[in-house]
Amino acid sequence: MGPRIRLYGLRHLRSAAAADDLVQQVLVKMLEALRAGRLRDADKLAHFVLGTCRMTVLDQRRSARRQEQLLEEFGGVLVPAQREMPPLDADRLARCVQTLRERERTVVVMTFFDERTAAESGRSLGITEANVRVIRHRALRQLRTCMEAGS
Amino acid sequence: MTPPNRARSDCLRPIEPGVLLDYWLALLPAAEEDAVEVHLLECDACGEQLREMIALSDGLRTLARSGSLRVVVGEDLVQHALGAGLLVRQYAFEPGQTVHCTISADDDLLVARLAADMSGATRVDLSFCDPHGVERQRMTDIPVVSDAGGVILHESAVFGKRSPSTSMVARLLAVDAEGAEQLLGEYTFHHTRTIPGPPGWEW
Repeated sequence: MGPRIRLYGLRHLRSAAAADDLVQQVLVKMLEALRAGRLRDADKLAHFVLGTCRMTVLDQRRSARRQEQLLEEFGGVLVPAQREMPPLDADRLARCVQTLRERERTVVVMTFFDERTAAESGRSLGITEANVRVIRHRALRQLRTCMEAGS
Repeated sequence: MTPPNRARSDCLRPIEPGVLLDYWLALLPAAEEDAVEVHLLECDACGEQLREMIALSDGLRTLARSGSLRVVVGEDLVQHALGAGLLVRQYAFEPGQTVHCTISADDDLLVARLAADMSGATRVDLSFCDPHGVERQRMTDIPVVSDAGGVILHESAVFGKRSPSTSMVARLLAVDAEGAEQLLGEYTFHHTRTIPGPPGWEW
């Protein structure tokens, strides 16, 4: 039954993905009907399936039309404008990094060179994971303060 | 960057910028990440702060990978750089050794491996001196692994490429609580410039 429903879907929906969705929805409704005892006569199965296909496609089309109308009306609001990232003064950042203590600069470079975790950086530097976190937080707080002072 | 008070004034429970940065770097535990995401779906002020952390993170990543910093690093950074296909020019020094070195325009990173026995040292400084022995820069309390047998110095490739042919002496020093210094190793760099450019400086 599935391939037949899919053909119906391809014919009416002109989309393989939509046809696959239709197959699932119709088969689920068919199973529900069978379990509920609403579908006892095998001869009526095709009619039942066809009716279900039609109703489902109509629902999908109504839903699609509603979506199109809503997008037409509210699309500009629903799809937000792309937000630009705030500009960053790279030269100032380089100067701010130079003001860090050696351990802080090392941890920052190790962290951001390859987005290393605190555990990985710690192993490589002979520092505990917790200590790396503390050093990194302190360094980043100082960097933010340094950058804000220049803005 | 936006001053924090202005950006956060609309939020009653602002997320710490450090937490937002950890969130961006995927360093938060799952439960904390969930809470941050729920909050970010409700709060534009923290979303704006997150954008600033993303910009800072991007800037730091660019800077860290630029090869322009003089900084002590761990072995895994060097290995990762090599694995990523970066050209890493490396020189290995034993204590007391003089090494002739250079850097080409194609090199991405410049690394010096300074061997030393640092066992027992609680604080290690790396001092840079001119050929007359005058200290020009000191890196105080560098991170060291006491049994690693040395330090990996990530020298500024930008500095190296601009530097004229010159000599520089690096000294690893153990410094005790009273400030007394003990020489762990001295390493002489004889840099030969191979990249054409304007004349450089004299010490």
